[in-house]
Amino acid sequence: MSHWSEATQERAREIISRYPQKRSAVMPLLYLAMAEEGYLTNEGMEEVAAWVGITPAQVQAVASFYTMYKRRRTGQYLISCCTSISCMLLGGDDVLHAVEDESGVPHGETGADGLLSVEHVECIGACGGAPAVQVNYELIEGVTPDKARDLVRWLGSAQPEVVNTDEMQELFGGVRSFDWAIRDESGAVGPYPAFQPLGTVGSEGNA
Amino acid sequence: MTEQRAPDVVSITIDGVGHRVPADSLLIKAAQDNGTYIPRFCWHERMNPVGMCRMCLVEVQGPRGPMLVTACTSNVADGMVVDTRNDTVKKAQEGVLEFLLANHPLDCPVCDKGGECPLQDQAFSHGPGESRFVEIKRNYEKPIAISDLVLLDRERCILCARCTRFADEISGDPLIEFKSRANVTEVNTFPDLPFSSYFSGNTIQLCPVGALTAAQYRFRARPWDLQMVESSGLHDTAHPRLSVQVSQNEILRLVGVDNDATNHGWLSDKERFGFQYLGSEGRLTTPLVRRDGELVETTWADALDRVAERIGLIRDEDGGGAFAVIGGAHGTNEDAYALSKFARVVLGTNNVDARVDDALASHFLAATADRALISDIDTADTILIWGPDLKEEHPTLYLRVRRAAQELGVRLVVVHPRATGLDDRAAIKLGYRPGGGFELLDEVADGKHPDVRQALSAERVVALVGQASFADGPKLAESVAAYVRNKAGSARILPLARRANIFGALDMGLAPDLLPGRVADEDAGRAALATSWGDMPAVRGKDTRSMLEGLDSGEIRFLLLVGADPARDVPDPRQATLALESAEYVVAIDLFLNDSNRDADVIFPAAGFAEKEGTVTNLEGRVQKVNSIAPVPGQARPDWEILDDLAERAGRPIGLSNDESIAKEISEVAPAYAGISWDLLEWEARDGAVVPLSGAQPLSHIPVALKGDKAPSAPLILHVARTLYDDGVMMRHSQSLHPLAPGAVAHLNPDDARRAGAQEGHLVRVVTKHGEGEFSAVLDDGTPPGVVYVPFNQPGAGSLGTEAVVRVTAVGK
Amino acid sequence: MTTPLVVTKRMTEFPADSHTIDRYEETGGYEQARRATGMSRDELVEEIKTSGLLGRGGAAFSAGLKWSFLAPSRPSYLVINADESEPGTFKDRQLLERDPHQMLEGIIITAIANEVHDAFIYIRGEYPKPARRVQAAVDEAYAKGHLGKGILGSEYDLDVMVHLGAGAYICGEETALINSLEGLRGEPRLKPPYFPAAKGLYMQPTIVNNVETVSNLPHILAMGAEEFIGLGHPLDTGTFMLSVSGHVKKPGNYELPHGITWRDLIYDVAGGIPNDRELKAIIPGGASSPWFVPQIHLDHQITKDMCAEAGSMLGSGAVIVMDDKTCMVRAAERIVRFFAHESCGQCTPCREGTTWMEMILRRIEEGQGRAIDLDLLLDVSDNISVGLGWPPKMTTICPLGPSAVSPVLALRDYFREEVNAHVELGGCPLRPVEVHA
Ligand SMILES: Cc1cc2nc3c(=O)[nH]c(=O)nc-3n(C[C@H](O)[C@H](O)[C@H](O)COP(=O)(O)O)c2cc1C
Ligand code: SF4
Ligand code: FES
Repeated sequence: MSHWSEATQERAREIISRYPQKRSAVMPLLYLAMAEEGYLTNEGMEEVAAWVGITPAQVQAVASFYTMYKRRRTGQYLISCCTSISCMLLGGDDVLHAVEDESGVPHGETGADGLLSVEHVECIGACGGAPAVQVNYELIEGVTPDKARDLVRWLGSAQPEVVNTDEMQELFGGVRSFDWAIRDESGAVGPYPAFQPLGTVGSEGNA
Repeated sequence: MTEQRAPDVVSITIDGVGHRVPADSLLIKAAQDNGTYIPRFCWHERMNPVGMCRMCLVEVQGPRGPMLVTACTSNVADGMVVDTRNDTVKKAQEGVLEFLLANHPLDCPVCDKGGECPLQDQAFSHGPGESRFVEIKRNYEKPIAISDLVLLDRERCILCARCTRFADEISGDPLIEFKSRANVTEVNTFPDLPFSSYFSGNTIQLCPVGALTAAQYRFRARPWDLQMVESSGLHDTAHPRLSVQVSQNEILRLVGVDNDATNHGWLSDKERFGFQYLGSEGRLTTPLVRRDGELVETTWADALDRVAERIGLIRDEDGGGAFAVIGGAHGTNEDAYALSKFARVVLGTNNVDARVDDALASHFLAATADRALISDIDTADTILIWGPDLKEEHPTLYLRVRRAAQELGVRLVVVHPRATGLDDRAAIKLGYRPGGGFELLDEVADGKHPDVRQALSAERVVALVGQASFADGPKLAESVAAYVRNKAGSARILPLARRANIFGALDMGLAPDLLPGRVADEDAGRAALATSWGDMPAVRGKDTRSMLEGLDSGEIRFLLLVGADPARDVPDPRQATLALESAEYVVAIDLFLNDSNRDADVIFPAAGFAEKEGTVTNLEGRVQKVNSIAPVPGQARPDWEILDDLAERAGRPIGLSNDESIAKEISEVAPAYAGISWDLLEWEARDGAVVPLSGAQPLSHIPVALKGDKAPSAPLILHVARTLYDDGVMMRHSQSLHPLAPGAVAHLNPDDARRAGAQEGHLVRVVTKHGEGEFSAVLDDGTPPGVVYVPFNQPGAGSLGTEAVVRVTAVGK
Repeated sequence: MTTPLVVTKRMTEFPADSHTIDRYEETGGYEQARRATGMSRDELVEEIKTSGLLGRGGAAFSAGLKWSFLAPSRPSYLVINADESEPGTFKDRQLLERDPHQMLEGIIITAIANEVHDAFIYIRGEYPKPARRVQAAVDEAYAKGHLGKGILGSEYDLDVMVHLGAGAYICGEETALINSLEGLRGEPRLKPPYFPAAKGLYMQPTIVNNVETVSNLPHILAMGAEEFIGLGHPLDTGTFMLSVSGHVKKPGNYELPHGITWRDLIYDVAGGIPNDRELKAIIPGGASSPWFVPQIHLDHQITKDMCAEAGSMLGSGAVIVMDDKTCMVRAAERIVRFFAHESCGQCTPCREGTTWMEMILRRIEEGQGRAIDLDLLLDVSDNISVGLGWPPKMTTICPLGPSAVSPVLALRDYFREEVNAHVELGGCPLRPVEVHA
């Protein structure tokens, strides 16, 4: 008696079948639950519990351990500003403040219109391109406070259905950790990592 | 089979002193057993170590110099050199303590745990005195109710994971868990999904601080105000050891006492919180007699004389055959002995039965040869459970078996008509249609379930057998036991029955075919007893069902109910109610008015648990001492005293002068109980003494009826079984637990429900030949198609009798 | 300086398509895996042992030796640690994005050497693009029959699956990673067992290796152990990747042989300090490692042993450079904050201690410091890492808690004056105070 769409259920079945033990599927299923409802609801956790055969309390124990399973409704775009050591050294805090100021959304919150959520995060592995920012986990390196303001404005006006890391890097980025070389055509459609086939659905997944 | 290989021993040095310790022990335990207490919070002897609190850090000499290790996660090794109190260790331990106190509220004066709190104790003995932590402490909403019975104060929690581990590893109900991580880690339930576990109270006892408290006990007392006495719990026929704690003459709480024999310190919530009935308003405190159709208070003398007179009259007119005695399983062995003697000597009847109808044969329960000990569960290769869902009816055994299957590698085979609490740990689970047990046994014997056969051919097999469903005849369990015994030569059997001290009662002869000491009520047994008891009836007695029939037919005129409520408690309550109505004279000894004694002619108020001393015998034959600590309410008296007085007045004294002398008399006249004395149980054998099976019939002599009744082929058949919480009279008077009973529900397989047009929570009408009622539908994958499961004796539920075939129709929302 | 590139060679030569299977195979890809299908476990383990390859995930343990510990029970599993979350580290991201087949080939070799038929790649959740690239590579490899049933024309079956983390640094610790992969909280397991090779995933023997570690394997088989040893330092063979970040003109990943000096690295390879400021401190091996200062360490060679002698480690190869304008209290606070935030919460000293340290440091930085605070900080640290030595004598289950102590050691040893100045001044002497929640 699943509340999920038939397609999501099919993916859930496939994910579970790939692991030697059902319980291992908890993490990908939690991403599915988030993608299904936009954030991780109690019903989502109950659903995951039923799929893998553990109690909702056990699912919650896992889900609450990780920072990427959002328990509150999150904006269409989740802007994550790194303020860990390397980014801090190069102005990560100023980038965060610029994002907060331009969007009017303090970190840890979601704007009233539901468009943007802002958070500061610990190291996202982009220290060579500090300060770094992610939008729905799609990375932009070498962001200045001014570029960060541009990014916020762009998200508000363009409201892209899919956010693409290369596009954003071109528009708002600077120094990179390394040469990104070839363009990645995929992108994220929600505040969860766009990854196929066993994670959540990105732009290509809907095709 | 219970003896274990002598463990290898290694030499270790603790604080400069050499010790020889078992090679497989944890350092913390080896140290403790040799007089060195290493402080700890998360470690608990009955659970797997997690090494989380880090309080037990000690220094061990390693290949690269001294290392700090947690004693709770380190195995001893030969030549190990340990320092538990040098400066490094002290500093580390004090550091941990300081960290724990940093965020701990200073509310000891209002905390239930104050005075018995290891954290408080440690802080006194090791603490730095003044806190160096000047920052703001963590803050949580004050206690939240994580269940109807348990409150959680997260500010006080030190995250030792004892409660969560218990819930997951020991009780199998992982409903409380850690949430979040790092410095904001907390223990919690899932929203709107309370910690409703039959064992939740153990977490209160396990919690080393006052984070988990009992709703019922909160703010009731300070530990130093409590008086306590050790005893055994009677809600569960394993008789878990516990401590009864009293303040100002009122029982305030029961606490499990750790012992290897029975419960490892755990108690079911029914055991732990079910004592509330003792202090209930409804307790009977004066004798009652019927005058002008009304029960009115009277004096003991008046009540006793009336009954004695009536006994004399009927005895003279119709002899012992006109008497019936039902009950006696709720008192001590001394009470049961008095009742047994009273029935035989004063009433001159063998019509006596403590089983109240839904148990296995009395000789099978009391005198099965090769009866298993509870501890055999730990060392078995295979455990077969073919009987009730242990979680519902035998919670102590449930925990024990669960641990054996999970931790000790015991192969578990569960046979039951529907899902049980142990299925998740079972290597093999077989289901069958209620009433079709014999067919399945036949199949197993014919080799149709080779995995079961193979499991049962292991060297050490323990079979826990009982009645899984009211639809199964009582003979099935005996046949299963006999089959197992034939299959595995060294199999041990643990026959299951519920009801307080039922095994003690049977051992005292409260069955139509048994005399005290597991002796068959036959000429030889009677002859041996005659020197002490005098003349006894030789007529074969009736069991509960026949007695009820006898009442109905008028053959039996006088009924003595001792702590029994057949109108509620037998599988077919309608029959019992009709029988009770036709009784000429009914006398009851009880704690409460109930559906069976409400129309009695005389009612004597009885003393209850913790209000009297005595012995009890559990399902493995272990005799333990129970003790009194609470005053008897009003004029209530122990059963034996009432019966002795009555015998005197009826002109046939039974000569019981005090409780301890009864125990002595038992040890003299009941062969199995020779050598059992209160002295022994109070000093040398605090965990009790197992009485031998003298007089027991080896089961193989009982013909194995592999062919029994076939299950009815009707599309829907009824499965009635007991749940831990029900509408029994003690439960009804335990205000914390009674609301937790499932109520009038019928479990249906979702497919059957769909066919009947019923959804979850809808009312359905369930009809049998003998009864019908409306129940709230529970859609349940654990109930197989074609089976309707109705928990027995629920508040608000009618009775359906024992007829197996049912019809279910949807009534509406 | 000419450096022979190994794991970054292909991506340097073919930037446009180094991640595709065509380019990979054109440049000799999967040949070593194919060869490995004909080799025995013993041969492979021996070869890698001989090569001296040390794990690149931080602990620098011999890869071949670890494989040799594999317990006999089967199934055995392989888990690739791509959780890269140590502040300062971003080398695995490049390897995942730019040359995923190189890692896959390493996985095949490791799997054969350890009789593994199910391998998992645990990629941190914040790395969706690397995960996509790896997944695409996995799909390509399956399509070509390099993975799946009868890989590379052999009888050997191997399934590889990508598993995404969800934001928890501690899941980089191998036993926490295994718990996470089992669907449990990512809490490190008790030791012993010291290696998952004894009891790991589903309590079965499990090899956990870092992305860079396995990416080296095809090259070791191709060039032979001897040549691989010749690339690096006798005790620290081959090349290794350094992620350089912070105040340098040319931040980025550099594949280098061990043995150059910190001065070479910072002033030559990474182009020196921007605006020609002075160098103040170096974090040599990721946020966990104790810091170096130019006065003492600048001319030390970058080898595992030199670092260890100087009381620190090369760890995950993350070098963070700080110039003279950097407030050391603030930098320390940021690193301690990281560990406090990422503590799994099991151990009392880590859970309570790191947060307490963070609070004290924040207070000092914000001008509320007291004269006794540095000593308090040191004593609290001492209760997490007894004696404040290196490697730490831990009061915890895993090294995360003790890692938080590293920056405090720097304050004690090199920047006491700066801490005192904060207290005396009632604020930061280097930068106006900003208060953030
Ligand atoms: C707190 C902590 C975090 C770690 N994080 C990582 C990580 O992100 N990536 C990694 O490869 N190893 C990490 N490690 C090391 C792993 O535990 C393990 O040693 C490593 O993955 C083994 O692979 P290797 O031998 O190939 O280096 C971490 C260790 C600790 C204690
Ligand atoms: S040291 Fe910290 S992160 Fe490591 S196990 Fe202990 S609490 Fe968890
Ligand atoms: S008792 Fe050993 S760590 Fe808690």
